[in-house]
Parts: sequence; C-alpha cells; structure tokens
Amino acid sequence: MSELKSLIVFLSQYDLTSAKICNIIDVLAKPSISAFKKSKNQFKNLINEKALNKMLDCADEAIVHTYTLNLANKGIKIVTKFDEDFPRQLQDLPDAPVILYYMGDLNLVNTQTLAVVGTRKPSNYGYMVTERLVRDATSAGITIVSGLAYGVDSIAHRKCLELGGKTIAVLGGGFDHIYPLEHHSLAMEIAEKGLLLSEYRPKMNATKYTFPTRNRIVAGLSDGVLITEAGIKSGTIHTKDFALEYGKNIYAVPGNIDSPNSELTNQIIKYGQAACVTQSDDILRDYQNLNNKESVFQQSFLDASDEEKIIIECLKDGMKSVDELTKKCKLSMNIFNTCLTTLEISGIIKRLPGGVVALN
Amino acid sequence: MYSKVFSFGLKGIEGFPIDVETDVSNGLPHFEVVGLADTAIKEAKERVRNAIRNSGFEYPIKKITINLAPADVKKEGALYDLAIAIAILSCDDEMGLKHEKDYVYIGELSFDGSVKRVKGILPLLISARTSGFKKFIIPFDNLQEASFISGIEVYGVKSLIETISFLKGEEEIAPVKTCTFDEVTKNGKIGMDFCHVKGQAMAKRALEIAAAGGHNLIMIGPPGSGKSMLAKCFPSILPDLTFEEALEVTKIHSIAGELDQTQGIVSTRPFRSPHHTASTVSLTGGGSNSKPGEISLADHGVLFLDEFPEYTRHTIETLRQPLEDGIITVARSNATIVYPANFTMIASMNPCPCGNYGSKDKECKCSPSQITKYLAKLSGPIMDRIDIHIEVENVTYDQLKSEELEECSEDIKKRVDKAREIQLKRFAESRNYCNAKMSAPQTRKYCKLDAKGEIMLRNAFEKLKLSARAHDRILKVARTIADLEGSENIQPSHIAEAISYRTLDRKYW
Repeated sequence: MSELKSLIVFLSQYDLTSAKICNIIDVLAKPSISAFKKSKNQFKNLINEKALNKMLDCADEAIVHTYTLNLANKGIKIVTKFDEDFPRQLQDLPDAPVILYYMGDLNLVNTQTLAVVGTRKPSNYGYMVTERLVRDATSAGITIVSGLAYGVDSIAHRKCLELGGKTIAVLGGGFDHIYPLEHHSLAMEIAEKGLLLSEYRPKMNATKYTFPTRNRIVAGLSDGVLITEAGIKSGTIHTKDFALEYGKNIYAVPGNIDSPNSELTNQIIKYGQAACVTQSDDILRDYQNLNNKESVFQQSFLDASDEEKIIIECLKDGMKSVDELTKKCKLSMNIFNTCLTTLEISGIIKRLPGGVVALN
Repeated sequence: MYSKVFSFGLKGIEGFPIDVETDVSNGLPHFEVVGLADTAIKEAKERVRNAIRNSGFEYPIKKITINLAPADVKKEGALYDLAIAIAILSCDDEMGLKHEKDYVYIGELSFDGSVKRVKGILPLLISARTSGFKKFIIPFDNLQEASFISGIEVYGVKSLIETISFLKGEEEIAPVKTCTFDEVTKNGKIGMDFCHVKGQAMAKRALEIAAAGGHNLIMIGPPGSGKSMLAKCFPSILPDLTFEEALEVTKIHSIAGELDQTQGIVSTRPFRSPHHTASTVSLTGGGSNSKPGEISLADHGVLFLDEFPEYTRHTIETLRQPLEDGIITVARSNATIVYPANFTMIASMNPCPCGNYGSKDKECKCSPSQITKYLAKLSGPIMDRIDIHIEVENVTYDQLKSEELEECSEDIKKRVDKAREIQLKRFAESRNYCNAKMSAPQTRKYCKLDAKGEIMLRNAFEKLKLSARAHDRILKVARTIADLEGSENIQPSHIAEAISYRTLDRKYW
C-alpha cells in the first residue's frame, strides 16, 4: 500500500469530508502519515485541536495496515481517488469521494450503467413500471445502479439479480450498518454477484445527511438516471439534481397527474429536465452495443392454456383487482386461482399488494 | 345426629362426587362448613337457614357441622345449598324423608326457599352418570340442559318445600323426558348468509375451503372491505355439530354460564369474537375461579380475531398450543385444568397500521419500517399455523348495488358437508376429523403428489419465493380442494390453487 493511500485510509477514519482530506494532501509535499504528523501545525484551521491530538496518537502506519488487513478478511476492499482503478466517472466530479470501500467486482463501473431510483413506497404502478424497465435494461446488458433503499431501489436490485444481471448498490452508511437492516441479505447477494459501494468507513452509521451525498455517487457512476416514480418530497430529487449538474441523461416515467407519487417525475418532464419514458426503447436507444435477447416473457406466453389466455386478455388493458378480474373473465373460482398461480410461476403475471394482478 | 347425602362438584369440565355429611349435636348454636369450601359455600349458612325457616320448616338451634368430602379438593360455587339443606333436614327423624340418600342434589337456594338455576349442570350430570349415579334433583330452570342425557332420572324442583314433599312421597314429580338432538338442530339458521355478501369471490372460495378442511384463515384488507362480515357468514357454511360435539360444547358453555336457557344445548357451532383488548386469561381460561376462556367457548366453532396484530404479542403467542393440540392446559397453583379448544381461527388484519397500503384510491401514510413492524407482530410460529391467507379488497359502490344473485350459504354448505364426509371416512381410525389437523406422517400418507404436482410445487417455491414452512400447509389445503372436487388424488391444479392462498409468504410485502 502506498504511503498516500494509507494516509487517506487513516484520515477517513475520522469522518473528515473528502474536501478536507484533499486539502491536507495538497498541503503536504510528499503525503504520508509521518509527513502528516510532522506538519501537524498546519492543520489547526482544518481540524479542531482536540480531534487533531486524538488523531496524532493513532497516526501509525502499522495500525492502518492491520486495519486494512482486517477489512480485507471481511471481503471489504479499498480504492482511493489516486488509484488507477478508481472509477473514472467519479474522478472528475467536483465533489468526488476521495475513498471508496467496496465488496464485489469493481470492474462493473466500467460497464454501461443506468441508475434506477425513486420513492421508498411505490404504488402498484411504480412497482410494475420499475420491474418492467429494469427487466428490459438488464436483459440488454446494462448494469443497474441504485441505493439499496426501500421501494424502487430494492425492486430494481432484486429484479436485476433475479434475471442474472449485474447491479451496483451504493450505501448511505458503512458496511457494518447496512440500512435498512431488512436488506442485509440483499446487500450480501449484491456483494457476491455485483458490486457494493460505500464512501463511508464500515463503522459509520447512516444518517439523514449521508443519503443525499450518497446520491451524488449514484448519479456520478451512471450513464443515465431513470426515475420511475417519486413524489415531490422524495430524496430522489437530490439524485436528479446531481445528475443534472453532472450532465447525465435523465429519464422519468410519467404518472397520473393527480397521483402524489408521480409529482416529481411529472414535474421534471414538464420542465424538460428529463426525457419522458413510455417504453424501454426510450432509454435503450441512448446506449450502444446492447444484447439483443428475446424476452423470456414472449416465449412462455405461447404455451398458456385457453383459460390462462382469457386472463391474459383481460389484463391487457391494465392491472386489475382479483374481483374485477373474476367478473370480467367469468371463470369459476377454482380454475381462476389455479390459472393465476400457473401464470405467476411462468412469470407472465405478477400479484401485487391489495389483491391486484398485473401483466409482467 | 348424622346424615349424609350426595352432591357433585366441578373441576375443569369434569365433575366429581361430593359427600355432604352433616352432624347436628347439642351445644351452642353454631354453623360450620369444612372441606376447603370457598366464600360462596361459607355463605350458604345464611341462605340455607333462611330458606329452611321461610319454607316453614324448623331450623335446629344446635351445633351444625357440614363436611364436604373429599376434604382436600377445593370446592366453589353455590350449587351445594340444596344438598346442605336436605342433609340438615334429614337429621330430623320427624321430617319423615324417605330414600333421600338415593339422589344427587344440585341447586342454589334463595331466602324464600326457591331453588335457583346453577352453572355447569350438563358436565356434572355426564360425569355423575359415568360414576354410576342414577337419580338427580336439580333446579327446574336447568331441566332443558339435562334433557339430552339418557339413562338417568332427573327431577326438576322449584322450591325447597316441593323437594321435601317429593322426598316424603306426598307429591309426584315426573322425571324429565329425554329429547333427541335432531329436534333442536332443526330450528333456525346460523349467522349471516353469504348471499348478502356482494363480490369477494376469492374470499368466499377461500372460506369454503377453510370450512371444508377446518383450516385456519387470515384475511388481509383495508378497513371497510367486509372482513368482519365475511367472518360472520362463516358459521353458516360449517358442517352441523354432531351430538358428541354438541355435548362437549354445551359442557363448556354450561360451566361458563353462557348457556341459552330456552335451548339447553348448544346446537349450532359457536362463533366467538373477543375484542383485541381481551386479556390473555380471558382468552385462555383460568383465573382464580378457573373458567374456560374464549378459545374454549369457541370449541368446535369459530374464533374470530378481528384486527389480529392489535392483540398483545403475549396473547397471540398463547394461541400456539391450542392451535396445535386442540386443547389448552391451564396450570395454576391449586390445579391444572385441561379445557378443549378445538376451534377454527379466522383472523383479520389491515395491510398496514393506517390500513390503506395497496389500496387503489386511498394513500397509505405509513413508513416502510412501520409496516414491517406491524407485520412483525405476527410471529413465524403463529403464521405457521394459519393455512390460508387471502387479500380482501374494497367493495365498490357498483358492486354493492348490483342485483346479481350471489350463491347462498346453503349451497356452499352442501359442498362442504360432502368434503367433510370424505375426510371423516379417511380419518375414521384416527382421532383426527379434518385435513387441517393431519399429523406429519398422515400428511405424507394422504397428500401424495404425482410427478407433475411435484414439479409445480418445486417451481412455485423457487419462482414465488415461498417460505419453507408453507410446504405442508399447501399440501393440506390442496388435499381439501381435492376433497371438495371429490378427487381421489391431488392434481397439479389443486396444488396451484392452494399456492394462491399463501399471500403472506410472498416477499412483496
């Protein structure tokens, strides 16, 4: 490990912002821990004295070394802004993170990426749209980036993994405090099959302030940002702002004009900040060299039974509740339930909260 | 002077014989009851004395000691008044009582000498019959209850005077005529009829399956979607009570004092819906007076728990043993009592604290963690015991006003009865009587799948991410669906339908 890297790792233990760390490095002619110790007086205006004294006690190359070794045992690797394999999309950002902790395959950042973000509590519409667009993007070979949060984020990750795609999750806290805790197993799966990223040291708790800053990495890493459903107060607004600032493509799915869950998406479409997405091609046309896989969905559609076809036909004009559906397709309840399960197993339909059934 | 007559006491739902021994001797006037009697019995002194005097008999101004044997068993209630009074009076040879030792006396006395109704006559008489007692004198008001037990002579009395003249041979009382169970069950329908419930086809079908196989069921839906109404209709499609079941149910209701006076026997399946503020003991039974709780009162019937997650966690967890074994063992410092609790549980809940999660027209205001917490109140072991989960959706105004005729309960019940018959035949040799109560070996034996069914189940587990505990539940429900269709083997379609009733196992929540 280079001296510069160990200095950064050391400094990042004390929750200094990336800007401050860069400042310190700029001051030092030959940045290393020992140099930092020697010229401690120069940092008095950067770090308060008490904290500085505390830091200096532990300022030791060996300590940093064991620390990184421990992390490596847990499968956590470190990359800094000055390393070669640091994501180049992030390098040029004005507020680029100086250090990234990661688990999984860092090369994924060099693939074509699409961030999929949105509300933590999607409606059934948001749920279906997210799944559908992620399905098409994933099967086209695009890597899905998101923030592991409730709602749209986790739907995107899960759908992508389900299809065997690659996905990147950027955490709002350290690896030891995965938030929300329910997504711990999802995070581990992503670490195994994709990439789990965080700019925070593992022991750092996620706070109200870390999520918006996390969003700049989500926006920064991606070639495009897709917002499937988001209300006006959603944290998604930060991701959108960062994406605008970084000049990324922004895509938004329109919703009903009276739906509070689609207020943000409708607004940014109205102001021309985002491209209006009504089908996956609206996104995919901005990417090059995509896979051209035929959807699994189309194939299984063909060997549906007659009753199943009736149900599919009834669902073609939008999702329906079970009651509406039974009334419309006039099947007896036992046959109806049987068909519903077989259709669901073959992935043609999806059952959503509230007894709603929708075509996949 | 010494005399002895018989009475009966209750422990749980079983009765035990009690000797009421009396000794009247010279000495300072005094009245004492020994034999672990509770306050109600201690106070019998006043009731008995006044009843004897006000009936025109002479109350001996002597030292009176009553012993309730066996002396080491706690006795409670006012049902020994009549026996004590007869015992005291029979000490007086001049009364001229004959054969007073042939009878078992049960009844409470009032000051004017009339005999009042008591709780628990039916279980008492049933136990007494097995112990070999033949003749009983009980309160007239309790006669209805007694009329279902054959092979014994039961005499109903209205007052102490009547009892004495009967014992003297001055008055004739005819023993109660035994009536048959069929006469009672004929009258009246139970609960509400399904034809009044508009729409909700899925829920109705699920309830039909639950009724046919005795499966526990949970309904998830927004407020006002008709969950409670559906539950109230549920008893109307349950198979009729058999006489043995009715006796067991009546026993419990009799002890709890919840019996309908005019009926005498519980002829319809009970429907109990304790409020969610119910204490744990009120549900399980027990307490200082060891009464059966709501779950025992729901024996062979329906226990409806509305707003399931609102019950305290502790209360919900106590349901585990009864749901598994069909009994509840209540252990207290003085006694351990086993009450039957063989009920079908119907629970209902909202999808989230505000109730609107997943609703089409109303916005849910709960945070994701609130919803998780709400659902987490239902622990794995409890969900493990609920076979069928369904979602109930809001009914639209059009549906409410639709003139379309819905199927009535009677027709559904016919199908349920047929399916039950098949099950009774299947389980003739075991103590089981419905699919829901199948043991693990029975499940393996009766729920064999063919290759296609096996593939279907495997696919479902992988694709729909069902939890492992769903496996046996699905098999049991599939067995019931096959029975409803009269199919010998479980077909893949039955499995598929059974899978559709596992909403809560899904990950989408």
